[in-house]
Amino acid sequence: MFDFLVFSLTVAGIYALMALGLNLQAGYAGLMNFGHIAFAGLGAYATGIAFTLGWAPLAGAALGVLAAMALGWCIGRIGNKLASDYWGIATLAIAEILRTIAINEDWLTGGSNGISAIPSLFDGLGRPWSGLAFLGLVMLAVAVCALLCRRLGDGRFGRALRLMREEPQLAACMGYDLRSLKSRTLMAGAAITALGGSLYAHYMSFVSPDYMFPAETFLLWTMVMIGGVGSTAGVLVGVALVQAANVLAPFAREVLGFGSDVAGALRLGLIGLILLACLLWRSEGLVPEKLRKMP
Amino acid sequence: MFQFLIDALLRTADLALVTLGLSMLYGLVKFPNIAHVQYAMFGAYASYALYAAGAPLVGALLIASVVTGVLALGLHLLIFRRLLRAGPSISMVGSLAVSMLAIALMQGLAGSFPRMFKLGHTAPLTIAGAHISYTQFYFVCTTVVLLVLVMLLLFYTRLGRAMRALTNNAALANASGLNAERITFLVSFASGMVASLGGSMLSLSTGAHINLGNDLLLPVFAAAILGGLGNPMGAIAGALLIAVTETAVTNLNFGFLFGVDMKFLPVTYINAASFLILLLALLFKPYGLFDHEVRRV
Repeated sequence: MFDFLVFSLTVAGIYALMALGLNLQAGYAGLMNFGHIAFAGLGAYATGIAFTLGWAPLAGAALGVLAAMALGWCIGRIGNKLASDYWGIATLAIAEILRTIAINEDWLTGGSNGISAIPSLFDGLGRPWSGLAFLGLVMLAVAVCALLCRRLGDGRFGRALRLMREEPQLAACMGYDLRSLKSRTLMAGAAITALGGSLYAHYMSFVSPDYMFPAETFLLWTMVMIGGVGSTAGVLVGVALVQAANVLAPFAREVLGFGSDVAGALRLGLIGLILLACLLWRSEGLVPEKLRKMP
Repeated sequence: MFQFLIDALLRTADLALVTLGLSMLYGLVKFPNIAHVQYAMFGAYASYALYAAGAPLVGALLIASVVTGVLALGLHLLIFRRLLRAGPSISMVGSLAVSMLAIALMQGLAGSFPRMFKLGHTAPLTIAGAHISYTQFYFVCTTVVLLVLVMLLLFYTRLGRAMRALTNNAALANASGLNAERITFLVSFASGMVASLGGSMLSLSTGAHINLGNDLLLPVFAAAILGGLGNPMGAIAGALLIAVTETAVTNLNFGFLFGVDMKFLPVTYINAASFLILLLALLFKPYGLFDHEVRRV
């Protein structure tokens, strides 16, 4: 039970990192990124590939962050002249192309088997402590990133992003370079998300194309939308709620005696239902963003 | 060579009906409905259930398409109409949630194994050395007939003219006394019906499975965007273009590039081809190839 709790909290922490990355883009800047999981996938794969090359874990994480930032820059350039819904579909397509490459290029990614036996970071500490140490590391990363996001959101950069989201033409008139704003937001979000992906690969000691299913992006969207788009505290609340639903689904399966198909369906359906209910009745989320209104 | 044409035509038929509905509806509601491809999956399962219960095949397809049409209309009335008040991005995320729910529901009810139609085996039709099964042949014929019907409806009836007017300039059409609401209901119903027909005819050869909708998602969106979202005739042209490219990518022999006799791209790269076309289209023609909408400058 204790191990299970530590496991759930660690995974929740990793999801929190990815959701914070998405919130920078979708919350502050209003970018409809439906391929967000590609950044996490790049982080995870970079860690796996760095391990097969015999690099240090830190080098793997750095490689992942850099690759994700490069991808974020490219996506930002595509977004230059697209309407937001077209751009959302384009990001989805990019994530799917990356997943197809991960499945097919066996020599680099291990194909559909993925890369396994990636060492966890604290294996030397023994059974309960290694898990706890990892949890501590993840929580530290979440705290640092949450504070960073908050500072970024409340500062000049965040204000510019909100202005771009609400009144793009006004922002352009005031001399903001919208293209560079978008690119920089995407790169910042991508960096945090890739860090999460890299930690996930170490924690699961395994990386496979399954990490990049579009459903994972939608899970992150659910977390962000439930908690409150554009609010750091809201994102953390959303992550906690969705992760609780995730953790409880296997229990429901044991108690009610479902098959694994029904249990999987229950998990997906529950997330969809929460997301839909949230959009219909509380579209600003549980912890709404505080906007300063000019009189 | 002729086999290539047949393959491309079959793939076009797979995509055209679903794309057509998506594009028609987009013209009126102005948000890309991600759940639209799930109507195809739902229709496939409904047809299978009716067929397995003993209904004749054509009857099963028709009843399933009406049921799916009602479902699409219901979803529009209950969910999308409310979401649209909050704007297109919220509606798009909402359609995502509906899509997740639809998959979850079907997986819970029918499990994750494909359901195959038991149609019996017949010898394939052979035209000029190319093979095509009778089911596929009827599928292509039905699709062509349906597309012609929709085209006649769009260009030679009052309703079609009203629809085109609304797509081009909703405010002006509303001011001239068109009942936008009623037309949107009608098109919602029709798009659900057409998508269901497309999905269930596709499932005659591949079986009804829960990923049917997801597998269609990107090719269909690629086709619709290429054709200029909201332009039904463009949607069909887009579907044709995507189908030809996909078939070409898998049938081309890349051996000459590597100095070997035979070298083909892996089949799993088919999808990547359509995504790539989508990206290129968005980069160079952000509003599609056949866009005729007047934009503010």
